[in-house]
Amino acid sequence: MDPSEVEFLAEKETVKVIPNFSLDKIYLIGGDLGPFNPGLPVDVPVWLALNLKQRQKCRIVPPEWMDADKLEEIREQERKEDAFSPVPSCHYMELTKLLLNHAADDIPRADEIRTLVKDIWDTRIAKLRLSADRFVGQQEAHARLDNLTLMEINTTRDFLLDSLNSMHKLRANLQPGKSQDY
Amino acid sequence: MFVTDIRKEFYDIVVNQRVVLLVSLDIDALCACKILQALFHCDQVQYTLVPVTGWENLGTAFLEHKEQYQYFVLINCGANVDLLETLQPEEDSIFFICDTHRPVDVVNIYNDTQIKLLIKQDDDLGVPSYEDIFHDDEDEDEEGNRDDSGNESDGGAEPSGKRRRFDEAALERRIERQRARREWEARRREILFDYEQYEYHGTSAAMFMFELAWVMTKDTKDMLWWSIIGLTDQWVHDKITHMKYVTDIVALQRHVSRHNHRNEDEENSLSIDCIRISFEYDLRLALYQHWSLYESICNSCYTSCNFKLWSINGQKKLQEFLADMGLPLKQVRQKFNSMDISVKENLREVIEESSNKFGMKDIRVQTFSVHFGFKNRFLASDVVHAAAALLENVEKEECATDNFIKALDCLSRSNIERLHVGIDLAKKKLKAIQQTVASCICTNLLLSQGPFLYCHLLEGTPDVKLFSKPLALSLLCKYLLKAFVCSTRNKRCKVLPLIMAAPRDVDKGTVIVLGIPPESETSDKKNFFGRAFEKAAESTSSRALHDHFDTSIIELKMEDRSKFLDALITLLS
Repeated sequence: MDPSEVEFLAEKETVKVIPNFSLDKIYLIGGDLGPFNPGLPVDVPVWLALNLKQRQKCRIVPPEWMDADKLEEIREQERKEDAFSPVPSCHYMELTKLLLNHAADDIPRADEIRTLVKDIWDTRIAKLRLSADRFVGQQEAHARLDNLTLMEINTTRDFLLDSLNSMHKLRANLQPGKSQDY
Repeated sequence: MFVTDIRKEFYDIVVNQRVVLLVSLDIDALCACKILQALFHCDQVQYTLVPVTGWENLGTAFLEHKEQYQYFVLINCGANVDLLETLQPEEDSIFFICDTHRPVDVVNIYNDTQIKLLIKQDDDLGVPSYEDIFHDDEDEDEEGNRDDSGNESDGGAEPSGKRRRFDEAALERRIERQRARREWEARRREILFDYEQYEYHGTSAAMFMFELAWVMTKDTKDMLWWSIIGLTDQWVHDKITHMKYVTDIVALQRHVSRHNHRNEDEENSLSIDCIRISFEYDLRLALYQHWSLYESICNSCYTSCNFKLWSINGQKKLQEFLADMGLPLKQVRQKFNSMDISVKENLREVIEESSNKFGMKDIRVQTFSVHFGFKNRFLASDVVHAAAALLENVEKEECATDNFIKALDCLSRSNIERLHVGIDLAKKKLKAIQQTVASCICTNLLLSQGPFLYCHLLEGTPDVKLFSKPLALSLLCKYLLKAFVCSTRNKRCKVLPLIMAAPRDVDKGTVIVLGIPPESETSDKKNFFGRAFEKAAESTSSRALHDHFDTSIIELKMEDRSKFLDALITLLS
């Protein structure tokens, strides 16, 4: 899976915006999007929010978890624990990147948030790498990975699957009495 | 006719239509185009962008698109010539003209149906009134004919004496009418001559487009920055007076503080990646923050002319100047960003103090700078020089449209590398201009022909290909005239205008000829060479191409140069 595909899937998440135009309810295949009235917050998917923002038709309200203090707490918790701690949103990395790139002026303390999210990401990826290393190196049979997001899984998927496949092949060749005539 | 409500009479009409944008090749037009494009993107308006180099280009572009498009927006072209006459459009084509060229042609002003002028009327336009120019002469002729024919039909039955009297009375009336008509026509010719004699420039097109955006509350800091660049372009290329520049800066300053105020309100300051515009009272040294201070002082018109840096004395004065400021030579020759912080701290004030001692009272000028990200800090004039260098890039053999697109791109914040490429090209261009000026002054290439000064760049001159383009040539002209005024002792020559000729196309054997008004502190930048060139070309039947939108720039065949000049001399003495 390509990271851009994961980002595409992340754009389905809803975010609150405050439009400056009015429009009746629109009926899309994916669901209904409520009537738009200037000044009243409405929930829309991220892809629509970004499009409206680029056309200067709305203001984006940052999600509740995108707050510098909350993210700092999460970061501290992540650093303390060995296992993966619960994540603010299952697409936290993609949403941070999208919202901060296009709507940085609507989000207070945007630079701090970017740094904090990057720290959380780095810590989690380090844990994941460690776990994958142990898994492959010590030939364990199963592992428990709670609270991983799709983006993180995606970073390690190729390596993990390929290495486990190779390990399996090597292990199969070690079995005595199995003739391999290739 | 002039558009009064920009939003209702222009934007609301084009927003549901497909539009052709015809944009002339100068930075102000580029900025206006960028602002309009941003507005079109917000409202998803379909448009076609066509850069035009001159009248011929405009004509062909119009012919190509007139079948499919009804609405045409012209930016920085088309106002100073009778557009309907030149283009011969259908009845339903509508033209919106946002042009800084003045005077606006009277037909364009008084046409109510097809031509809408996006020009602010509080610019001192001095438009002659309708009655003075257009004459409803149908009624009068009919009356005259009716009288005469009436008399003739009656005359058969009447005695001859009465008829003679009637005839005399009718004859007298006719003679009177004809005399009045001749007087009116003479007055009309005079009024039109006065009106169209001098060519000058009005408020920046980019500022007008920004006002449109502001009226629709769709203005962003990016658009504000582009309108600042448009205004600065007019000042850098000497199209408006300093007074007008300062007045417009004040108007833009209000917008800048309004935008900044919105952000400073919250205790949480804005992300570093957001664009910040600030007012600066900064030095008049071209590109000094992207160059070394020494290079910038040597290659900026103001300092170079005041020090007379083409002479040995001038170099000595420069060394004294640097010593007076206490700046070590090694620091000054380094890239500006690598200079010591202690040196950079009060640089502006230190330079101002020293330059006052050396007779340069206006080394500082009001301008704006933009700041985004950690590295990127640009003054408005830096961007103008970079974009102009990209627009007229002669290094690779690319067509004007490609260069236009590249220059348009360098104005976006996402294309910083292109802007840096432009800055490098601009440095080369400024150096070339400085060297050419120095050689012209030292070899006395600038000759007085009587009513004007004349300079001809020969083909072998280094970097002469750069000067085949109008913007670069006009910059060279301006610097050359200033340098000449500083170096000559002849009082009479100081108030003469300058005409410059440079090779344009070696294969076709043409030169580009450009005239600028005399250099003075209180110059109103009004240029009379447009009409003068036309008349001179006509009278000598020289093969001249008046293609450029600025009438003071023409292309001429090399062989016709001398008779053209002689005609000009006789015309202007």
